Amino acid sequence: MSAINREQLSAYLDDALSDGETAQIEQALRESEPLRRSLRALIQERDRGEHSIGAIWRRERLSCPSREQLGNYLLQVLDSDWQDYIEFHLKTIGCAYCQANLADLQALQKPAEPQAQKRRQRFYESSAGYLNVARDTRK
Amino acid sequence: MSSPSSESDRLLVRQIRQGDQRSWKALIDRYEGRLLAFVDRRLHDHAASEDVVEETFLGFYLSLANFDEQRELQTYLFTIASHKLTDYLRRMGRHPLHMASEGAGDVLQNQLDPHSAASSMARGRERQELERHAVIRCLGTIIRQWQDKGDFIRLKVLELLLVRGWANRDVAAFLKISEQQVANYRFAAVKKLTEHIRDAALPADVFPELQDTGANP
Repeated sequence: MSAINREQLSAYLDDALSDGETAQIEQALRESEPLRRSLRALIQERDRGEHSIGAIWRRERLSCPSREQLGNYLLQVLDSDWQDYIEFHLKTIGCAYCQANLADLQALQKPAEPQAQKRRQRFYESSAGYLNVARDTRK
Repeated sequence: MSSPSSESDRLLVRQIRQGDQRSWKALIDRYEGRLLAFVDRRLHDHAASEDVVEETFLGFYLSLANFDEQRELQTYLFTIASHKLTDYLRRMGRHPLHMASEGAGDVLQNQLDPHSAASSMARGRERQELERHAVIRCLGTIIRQWQDKGDFIRLKVLELLLVRGWANRDVAAFLKISEQQVANYRFAAVKKLTEHIRDAALPADVFPELQDTGANP
C-alpha cells in the first residue's frame, strides 16, 4: 500500500492521520508535483462542496467502538472477534479519535497528575464567564 | 459506534444551556483528556495543545445553541477540536494547504484560500447536509447490523475500501480472502447505499465511491 490514495489525502486534510502517516504524506508531497496536483484538486473539490462516503464515515465515527468497549479492549475482556476488530480499527484503519480515547483511558489508569486538575480549572475559568453572562441575561 | 448523545450527556447539555456551572465543569472533566490526546497527537506541544482544547471548549459553548442532541456529543466536540487544530496549524504555516501550494507561488495560495473559495461553492451547505445525513442513516444502520451479528469481515472489507481507499486486490490480500468476495461485499454495500440515497431524492453520483468498482487503485 505504498501509493498514496485519495482517502489518505482526504484524511490528511482533516488532520486525522497518525503521525507516521502524516510524515510519510508530507515527505511524498515535497517530492512529487503530481501528488501536490492531486491534493490541490481534492481541496478544490471540497471547496465546491463535494464529499466522499469514506470521509463521512471517518468524521462521523460510524464504526468507532464505544468508550466502554475501548475500556474493555484495554482490559482484554472482550470476546475475541471484538478484540480483533478494535485492534484493526485502531492500528490498520488508524482511527485518530479512538486512539485519543485509548490514550486518555490509559492515562486514567495511572495515578492522577496534579497538572490535570490545574488544566481543567484553567479550561473552566476561561469559559465560565460566558456562562455567567448567559445566566444573568436569562434572569 | 457514534450514536445520539447519551442520556447523561443530554442532561449535561440541558443544564449548561440553563447556565449551570457544575454541569459545565463536569463536561470539561469528562472530555478534556481525550480532546487533549487528540490534539497533542498532531502538535506534540503540550502548551499549544492545551490552548487548542481551551478554544474547543469555548467554541462548543458559543455554538451550543446550534448543537443538535441527536448528534453524539463526543463526535461534535472532536469536530470542533479538528477545526481549531486546523486553524492553529494554518496560523503556524503547518497546514496541508501550504503543502499543496509548495513551489506553486502566491496565485495558487490565493486560489486555495478557504475564505475566497467559500463564496464560489457550487453546492449549498443544505444539500451537503442532506447527503451527509442520508449516508449516516444508511451506513450507520448497516454497520450496526454487521457489528451486532459479528460480521466483522464484511465490516473490515468496507472500512478498508471506503475509509482507507484501498483497492479490492489489496483488501483481499490483507484479509486473506478472494478478490471476488471483496467485490461481492462492495457491490452489495454500494447497491444498498445507492438505493437509500435515491430514496432520499438525492443524486447518487455525488459520491465517487458509488461509481467505481475498485478494480483499479
